[in-house]
Amino acid sequence: MSAETDPRPTIEVDLSINGRSRRLTIEPRETVAEVLRGRLALTGTKVSCDAQVCGTCTVLLDNRPVSACSVLAADAEGQALETIEGLADPESGDLSPLQQAFIDHAAFQCGFCTPGFLMAATALLREEPDPSRERVMEALEGNICRCTGYVPIVDAVLSAARRSAP
Amino acid sequence: MIRPFELHRPTTIAEASGLLMTLPESALYRGGTELLQVMKLGLARFAHLIDLKRIPALHGITTDEAGSIRIAAGTVHHEIERSTAVRAAWPALAELERHVANPRVRSIGSIGGNLCFAEPHSDPAALLLAADARLELEGAAGRRTIAVDDFILGPLESDVAPGELLTAIVLPAPAAGMTLAYRRLALAERPTASVACRLTVLHGVVVEVRLAVGAIGVRPVLATVASAALTGVPVTDLEEAIRVASPLVGQACEVVDEPGASAEYRRHLAGVLAGRAVRAATELMA
Amino acid sequence: MSVEEGAGPVVHRVGDAPPAPDPIGISVPRRDGRAKVTGAAQFTVDLHVPGLCHAKMLRSPYGHARIRSIDTSAARGAPGVVTVVSAADLRDVELTYGHAVADHPLIADGRVRFVGEPVVGVVAEDPLSAELALERIEVDYEPLPFVTDPVEALREGSPVIHPGRTERREHRGFEEDLGEEHPNVCSRSEHAWGDVEPAFAQADLIVEGEYRYPSAYAYAMEPYISLARWREGQLTVWSSAQHPFMVREDLARVFRLPLAAVQVSVPYVGGGYGSKSYTKVEPLAAALALRAGRPVRLALSVEESILTTRSVAAVSRVRSAFNADGRILARTADIVMNSGAYAENSPRVANKATKRLAGPYRIPAVRVVSRAVYTNTAPGSSYRGLGGPQAVFAGETQMDEAAERLGIDPTELRRRNLLDKGERPWPGARPLDADIRADVEIVTRELAVGGIVGPGRGRSLAVSASDGGAEPIGSAMLRLLSDGSVALMCGSAEMGQGSSTVLPQIAAAEMGVPLERVQLVQSDTAVVSYDRSTGASRTTTMMGLAIQRAAADAKRQLRTWAGEALEANPDDFVEQRYGLLLDGRTYRWDEIVRLWFDSGSGEVVGVGYVRRDGITQELPLFWEIGCLGVEVSVDEETGEVRVERLVTVGDVGRAIHPLMAEGQDVGGAIMGMGVALREELTYDGQTLINGNLWEYRVPRTTDLPEIRSFLAERADGIGPYGAKGGGEATVNPIAPAIVNAVRRAVGIDLREVPASPERVWRALQARKRDA
Repeated sequence: MSAETDPRPTIEVDLSINGRSRRLTIEPRETVAEVLRGRLALTGTKVSCDAQVCGTCTVLLDNRPVSACSVLAADAEGQALETIEGLADPESGDLSPLQQAFIDHAAFQCGFCTPGFLMAATALLREEPDPSRERVMEALEGNICRCTGYVPIVDAVLSAARRSAP
Repeated sequence: MIRPFELHRPTTIAEASGLLMTLPESALYRGGTELLQVMKLGLARFAHLIDLKRIPALHGITTDEAGSIRIAAGTVHHEIERSTAVRAAWPALAELERHVANPRVRSIGSIGGNLCFAEPHSDPAALLLAADARLELEGAAGRRTIAVDDFILGPLESDVAPGELLTAIVLPAPAAGMTLAYRRLALAERPTASVACRLTVLHGVVVEVRLAVGAIGVRPVLATVASAALTGVPVTDLEEAIRVASPLVGQACEVVDEPGASAEYRRHLAGVLAGRAVRAATELMA
Repeated sequence: MSVEEGAGPVVHRVGDAPPAPDPIGISVPRRDGRAKVTGAAQFTVDLHVPGLCHAKMLRSPYGHARIRSIDTSAARGAPGVVTVVSAADLRDVELTYGHAVADHPLIADGRVRFVGEPVVGVVAEDPLSAELALERIEVDYEPLPFVTDPVEALREGSPVIHPGRTERREHRGFEEDLGEEHPNVCSRSEHAWGDVEPAFAQADLIVEGEYRYPSAYAYAMEPYISLARWREGQLTVWSSAQHPFMVREDLARVFRLPLAAVQVSVPYVGGGYGSKSYTKVEPLAAALALRAGRPVRLALSVEESILTTRSVAAVSRVRSAFNADGRILARTADIVMNSGAYAENSPRVANKATKRLAGPYRIPAVRVVSRAVYTNTAPGSSYRGLGGPQAVFAGETQMDEAAERLGIDPTELRRRNLLDKGERPWPGARPLDADIRADVEIVTRELAVGGIVGPGRGRSLAVSASDGGAEPIGSAMLRLLSDGSVALMCGSAEMGQGSSTVLPQIAAAEMGVPLERVQLVQSDTAVVSYDRSTGASRTTTMMGLAIQRAAADAKRQLRTWAGEALEANPDDFVEQRYGLLLDGRTYRWDEIVRLWFDSGSGEVVGVGYVRRDGITQELPLFWEIGCLGVEVSVDEETGEVRVERLVTVGDVGRAIHPLMAEGQDVGGAIMGMGVALREELTYDGQTLINGNLWEYRVPRTTDLPEIRSFLAERADGIGPYGAKGGGEATVNPIAPAIVNAVRRAVGIDLREVPASPERVWRALQARKRDA
């Protein structure tokens, strides 16, 4: 099979993105990042290293963090895919406690890594609503930030956890 | 970028095996955390990918009456990390799974995929070698069981016959006085050196040691000479035995330089980590 | 000491700066906050234009080679391909650019000089088609001898990277004379005063050493990217760039266009740190778009970005003469820097290194020479600190070596030599506008409290002074509109440092309007007026001054207008916070606008210019002070060094936005820590072997020390309300502080960073052998 000249295979997939169902015809080779950014104009998910190392492209699949650059969109079928665009309240536009905490603590500078951190932190707080500082740092070790030196990010996550505590 | 391919989604092992045999340029995957990377880099091309995620028999952790733990090959690292059965029997494995790569890889990457890809730095391979785990494979020719040492042949090379799938990893129940510990040092994304130690202590004496060295060679290997230096040693004399054994650990295999860590340094690290793993194992049994 | 209270974070501020009008000094919510936390913030890769197509580059596999032939015929016919471009297709443009030395072809022309140099570009309907077509291109190379080490490159008989003369562009701020230098010397700088030989002759102690600082990758998480569009003879390039106006200059020159026909527009920049200073892939994207007849997006991967620009490695031989009291009598240094295959900004890096090596000390005689040397490696250019990290590592490490030999405490040794506020660091330089002694006391005091004292643990501090601010060339426009809102227009880019918040803060304070009534338009050369650059920590100071002058200009006009509209003497009005007072009645600015236009509409446009005169006559514009201390732990078995505690003082004069100012110090320290402990780009032969994130490790959350950071505000700068620049302070002293702390912890001398575990382990082995 010649990749260049044969017609490219396609597949129909049913995706659930931020609670909304979408049926798309895509190529099996397309990653979640490519589908989000290229087909759905959901450009909040950024791609940096494109090798699942940096965490910039973190999205959630059934509450678990995954690298959108390295997961086939077809493999997101049947799971709840959540992106940065889904964190704020869809009706009121109110930011999630984490998003607000990031603003309060200036937990970003250039903002390129920010959606990835917010999704990773969202996953963490869903699983562990009251993490220690060490746990937060450990859980976010797989996300790279070049601007902030991480301190305000960790502070923001802890602050959001405290604020959401029952 | 990933080149175009057709996607297949079998629901049984037999179906997957059949597809693998009949489709040209085909590959199996579960999480794709290794496979998709090499495809992106253009290092490998496949016209067909066979997704294993819809095969129930390839997922899950079970324990039998003898206490041995069977981890289906497609089970993801995150699940193994949280398994109460694994934590109870082999906490070192749960702890290792907690540190494989990063949380995103652990969400979708499987232990079976990791073993089959046989990346030289693989954490699970070294630990399973020390634990003397058995690997179950199934294909057109039927089923077979193989030791880790015989399964991982070399860099990116595992003993999988055409049409065969790795179906499970089986760990025996820990025998009396037996513990497992793992220590690694990762100076970059992949471990620079790692050592797993399965230690059996009875009546205050080390009766068996299996030291597996990972990451520094092309495949994990048993450091038999170093292990021998620790065998038969009373626990009270262990520090002295570690001092003797450590320099031997790094000699267990050929080692190459890597950016930021020469072969000589990596051999040294293996010795240091062996000592730490042995001490950790003894502390676990206290 | 005042501690600012907000929604959560606390910033420790010290100093006696007098109060400033709101919202100066308030950590307001960042203007770009909502956009960045919702993913709505637009970066260059998020932009789309009709007809957009995608480019991929074929890159040289050789470090040095002649290109014998290029056959693109098979690629041109590949599915989805719009056009294929090599230098042969660009004879109608000026291929070569470069603001310091015009030696950089936008695409390889007959010769390649580093592995990764772009040779052929494919433009296609989609990125995959472009990538597939690359495989159909045949390039025939004739490999040539190559050299990757700058010291090697200076030897007789070494391959010459740029035979023949190349044009030198004006590079303000330093003179250079290459004289009899080896042809591989790209640039040479010398910084000297006094007479060093007699000083060395009289010294009680001479310390000598060779110090090595690596080449690093800035890793801005948004890789290089440009989107180019031609329309009716005009060129627009959207790009992730720090200096849109300098890029415009290069584009105008390459495509032989008037400046006014070129637009460079910069949205949010996903990290810069100097690595996005000056022209990168804009000319290439524009050339591809020109041939394609359609807009082109050229987006590089991280691996390609590493091969586009990296920082400049340095080998510094330093000699210092001391008397027995610990006073420095003289310092000399010879620095060899790896410029890579093209000059880029390494001439300036080399020049700045000469000015930053000697340290913030009173030294009667200094001579520092620096050469930027061509090699067959990826081009070296600016990175945070610009020659400072390289030079300060050498100077401050040697200070501690001297302290040990003199038997004087290292902090005390520094105290005996530190410049006082008001002293000129060198003849003709702006007098020091910082109280470094006070900063040192803060760090010393904080470092002494807490932490652990014991085996394998050590503490140290280090200081630096950088001549900051680059060129005072720029302008701003401040438009007060008929409803009293303000449209502020500035060339500064927003790359995370917070210009999009700080600049409106200054405008709001100057015009007396609420902050939310100020809107900023920035970094678009077709819309805003000229500013030379966003970098060298200059934006708050230089653009801030320009905004203040623009506000003053607007107010001058409004005063005249008020006189005209009210038929009064303009001098009779008394300026208020928001308006002019006459006969007991305050006329608000927006009222005056409407009165003068005799209409409900209109606006006043205030312009502020900055050039080198008046308060900006003396250079540098401000001194950027690095002052920090660390406590480290060393694992003697593995050689791992961990920074356990970090104390920093940001001597910023006035923190317009304290939380962001602190963020710069913390971010810069962690960035510098990465180079100090782990980062170095490594070549094996002609190939970069760790040019990817699997093998090149930048700091992670788990590397964080406990951090105490302070802002010292003494209103001693020439910027608005006494502000000076920040952002490149902590990155300078962090490496020597770590290395000196390691010496105190385990008794080893390190003269090379990164102090990787293996290097430390080897030094420990050597110490054991020598013992």
